[in-house]
Amino acid sequence: MNFAPPSSVPPVEASIQVRNLSYFFGRGDLRKQVLFDISLDLHPGQIVIMTGPSGSGKTTLLTLIGALRSATEGSLQVLGKELVGLGDRHLVEIRRNIGFIFQAHNLFESLTASQNVEMAVELTGNFRGKRQQAVDMLSHLGLAERADYKPAALSGGQKQRVAIARALVNQPQLILADEPTAALDKQSGRDVVTLMQHLAQERGCTILMVTHDNRILDVADRIINLVDGRLESDESPQQFVDSHAPKALDQKMFIM
Amino acid sequence: MKFPSLPRIPLAWYNLRHDRPRLLVAVAGVTFAVLLMFMNLGFLGALVSTTTNFYDQFNGDLFLISPQSLEISSTKAFPRQRLYQAAGIEGVQQAMPLYAEYALWKNPETSLSRALFVYAFNPSDPVFLMPELDTLEKRQALQQPNSAFIDRRSRPEFGPQTVGLETEADRRRITIVGQYDLGGGFAADGTLIMSDQNFRRYFAPQPLDQISLGLVLLEPGANPQRVKAALQEQLPADVEVYTKPEIIRKESQFWIQTTSIGFIFGLGVLVSFVVGTVIVYQILYTDIRDHLREYATLKAIGYSGGYLFKTVIQEAILLALMGYVPGLILALGLYELAYNATAGTLPMRMTLFRVIFVFTLTMLMCGLSGLISVRKAVTADPAEVFA
Repeated sequence: MNFAPPSSVPPVEASIQVRNLSYFFGRGDLRKQVLFDISLDLHPGQIVIMTGPSGSGKTTLLTLIGALRSATEGSLQVLGKELVGLGDRHLVEIRRNIGFIFQAHNLFESLTASQNVEMAVELTGNFRGKRQQAVDMLSHLGLAERADYKPAALSGGQKQRVAIARALVNQPQLILADEPTAALDKQSGRDVVTLMQHLAQERGCTILMVTHDNRILDVADRIINLVDGRLESDESPQQFVDSHAPKALDQKMFIM
Repeated sequence: MKFPSLPRIPLAWYNLRHDRPRLLVAVAGVTFAVLLMFMNLGFLGALVSTTTNFYDQFNGDLFLISPQSLEISSTKAFPRQRLYQAAGIEGVQQAMPLYAEYALWKNPETSLSRALFVYAFNPSDPVFLMPELDTLEKRQALQQPNSAFIDRRSRPEFGPQTVGLETEADRRRITIVGQYDLGGGFAADGTLIMSDQNFRRYFAPQPLDQISLGLVLLEPGANPQRVKAALQEQLPADVEVYTKPEIIRKESQFWIQTTSIGFIFGLGVLVSFVVGTVIVYQILYTDIRDHLREYATLKAIGYSGGYLFKTVIQEAILLALMGYVPGLILALGLYELAYNATAGTLPMRMTLFRVIFVFTLTMLMCGLSGLISVRKAVTADPAEVFA
């Protein structure tokens, strides 16, 4: 099994390069376009938050970038590989270099926290050190004592952290997250995004996150807004807040 | 893709073990199916051996029988002349006649008559190997008119078997002068042995020069196959020659293939197989349905459909193994029980062939249900986990 070595992606090059990507659901008369002509570059070390009303195509775009669906129109390069037109078998290979964090933790109830993380390590072929690697990652997330607990014995936040450990244990260059904080309380949610921030800064990974959670918008380097399948805005968090927060307008009006 | 053979997480085992009650139900289901298969095959095997195990007590190396005879209880008589011809062939030491016929035996206590099977022979011939009949002296008692030995394994409905007891057979007085152990198989509920002279009395006008079966004893050192070939060549086509294993196989085949008995038990095995398949399918399907998100997640993080396929098939095989062992143990217990309950007349015995055969069927059964249910896991859409 071959991992695309990180060095094959020059740091200046975008880890995700989307050009004129369109996507359709269904076929024939029921064919419905959900993404329209999306072009986008994401660079290493960036945390990008994707927002937009539900049904705007956020999740579809995320699954396309994550090689979970096959794109047909346009161009979609992830970690230096063109995904458009790629077969299922190759898509599976691509996915191994991506860390996925889901809204639901999706852990195997029958496996302990450590074993759930080890399932990801086994994909790299590292059987000898898998336990150590898993426990290290769990410790990093403050779950050292919980490594041998099954999900049923863990709190919601702990389960989500196990899922994050599973996503991060192979040190992927790209992390895709779908509402990772939705099921968490304020403090756990903050811990999770702080951890992601560290990863982006220390390892230079690219993080693309779909969220509606306003509490965590501040960690983003960029916020992109998707409406009805079209990329509507791409701005810094400050710009985003300025343009979206009615309070700012009120203040200006008050001064006038 | 090749991994070094280091321990993987046995996901299949953990998944099965996680829900104990469901595992228990699944194993019980497989055990039940295995047990049913063993019992059906057990009855079939017992039938086959009861219909043929009396041959073990027949003192013959080769057997002469009419080609029109189906099995021992439905023989077509052939001329005794053939025995004299056989006796002249090199390697043959002795050729002895055996007569066989059904008679109505009256239970002296209830006065109810019931058919039992009668063997008759010349008491000077060593036709039977049972210890009660193996010397000329012991066979002397049969010389008395209207007397017979009765089979201890005859059904109790035939009444008491006390020596000296007098009752009626085919409306003629008969006295029990001895007992032996033989068993009548599925064709007869009881057996009787008498002398050829008494046979003549009970079954007149049947002449003694028409016989049911010829028993041939070989000289020490004679090659049975060679003598058999010589007999076949010299004798007319109204008799066929078989060695003991051959005639046993011929009669077994008769019962299995040309009566409904083989079909009934074969159907029983098939039904058990289907029941087991459905149970295992149900369990596996529910398991996959409950873990669909997790399976989809595995695909999302880079596991192939092949891995999920293997996991489900492993679960199926584990269920097969866990259900087979208790099924085998229970079957051994029930075989013993059936053997004792029928006082040994239904020889339910486990054979190595059957152990392997049912094991193979169990594997097939679980593998089949694995294959039917696995599609759902393999086609799990990894994009669903984001929905």
